[in-house]
Amino acid sequence: MGNCLKSPTSDDISLLHESQSDRASFGDGTDPDLEPPPPYQVKAHMPMYHPTPSQARLATQLTEEEQIRIAQRIGLIQHLPKGVYDGGQDGSEKKIRECVICMLDFVYGDPIRFLPCMHIYHMDCIDDWLMRSFTCPSCMEPVDAALLSTYETA
Amino acid sequence: MTEQSALLLRKQLAELNKNPVEGFSAGLIDDDDIYKWEVVIIGPQDTLFEGGFFKAYLTFPYDYPLRPPKMKFITEIWHPNVAKNGDVCISILHEPGEDKFGYEKPEERWLPIHTVETIMISVISMLADPNSDSPANVDAAKEWREDPNGEFKRKVARCVRKSQEMAFD
Repeated sequence: MGNCLKSPTSDDISLLHESQSDRASFGDGTDPDLEPPPPYQVKAHMPMYHPTPSQARLATQLTEEEQIRIAQRIGLIQHLPKGVYDGGQDGSEKKIRECVICMLDFVYGDPIRFLPCMHIYHMDCIDDWLMRSFTCPSCMEPVDAALLSTYETA
Repeated sequence: MTEQSALLLRKQLAELNKNPVEGFSAGLIDDDDIYKWEVVIIGPQDTLFEGGFFKAYLTFPYDYPLRPPKMKFITEIWHPNVAKNGDVCISILHEPGEDKFGYEKPEERWLPIHTVETIMISVISMLADPNSDSPANVDAAKEWREDPNGEFKRKVARCVRKSQEMAFD
């Protein structure tokens, strides 16, 4: 890792102070001569990622390759159709009453996610799972393969 | 997520109390900790384990059901898929995508729709039908493969007897 954020020639204190917040969010080492680093408030709000399902790491601790893979995964998940549970009036959700992940009944107005295999879940429940494993928990259909085949048949 | 996992586990516990499932019983080790369960598995009929009462602990992670619980037998049990320290090694309790040995299909690994009941069903079927391809207890696997009615049977019978003494103490 290069330390491209540091400019060792600059003696301008105000400049250094300005760059403090940037540095903290990059987790860069702080110069011992400066005032103590700001409290790690940023950390508490930073989301956790799972490069493999059993690992939990902050965004700053991911390798470039992992960051790309996770970004791609987030993109794919966001392209999956979503909706709001309406009590199953349109037929496709008629018999599905319960989110099998949290085992709670769908309530009118709950945000839900539709997978290509037509299984539906609470958006929060399934999105967390898909970040770890890109398969439908009910039929084990790989979501990316199913996405590709729907494009082909479309 | 912590709230969700506790809620889901409480719901399962209430359901199992109301409608017990044949083959096992389940409860909490400590009433204040919903993440630590104690189960007793009844040795399945027509297997070497018949008549045994095998106590085990299930420890759930706070992000259950996204990740599987760990299961450990407290009662001594001689089985190819149970380590000598009691740790249960079956594929559905392995994290998704984490296939150290490269021969588990994704559908055989952990899914967030697994419950205490489905885990127990898998463990009961593991007792009836050991998988010696991925043994956690290599000695037990070897005995079971080479002579299931010899030394293996004797060791299992001893565990069954011991488990009965423990259960009726």
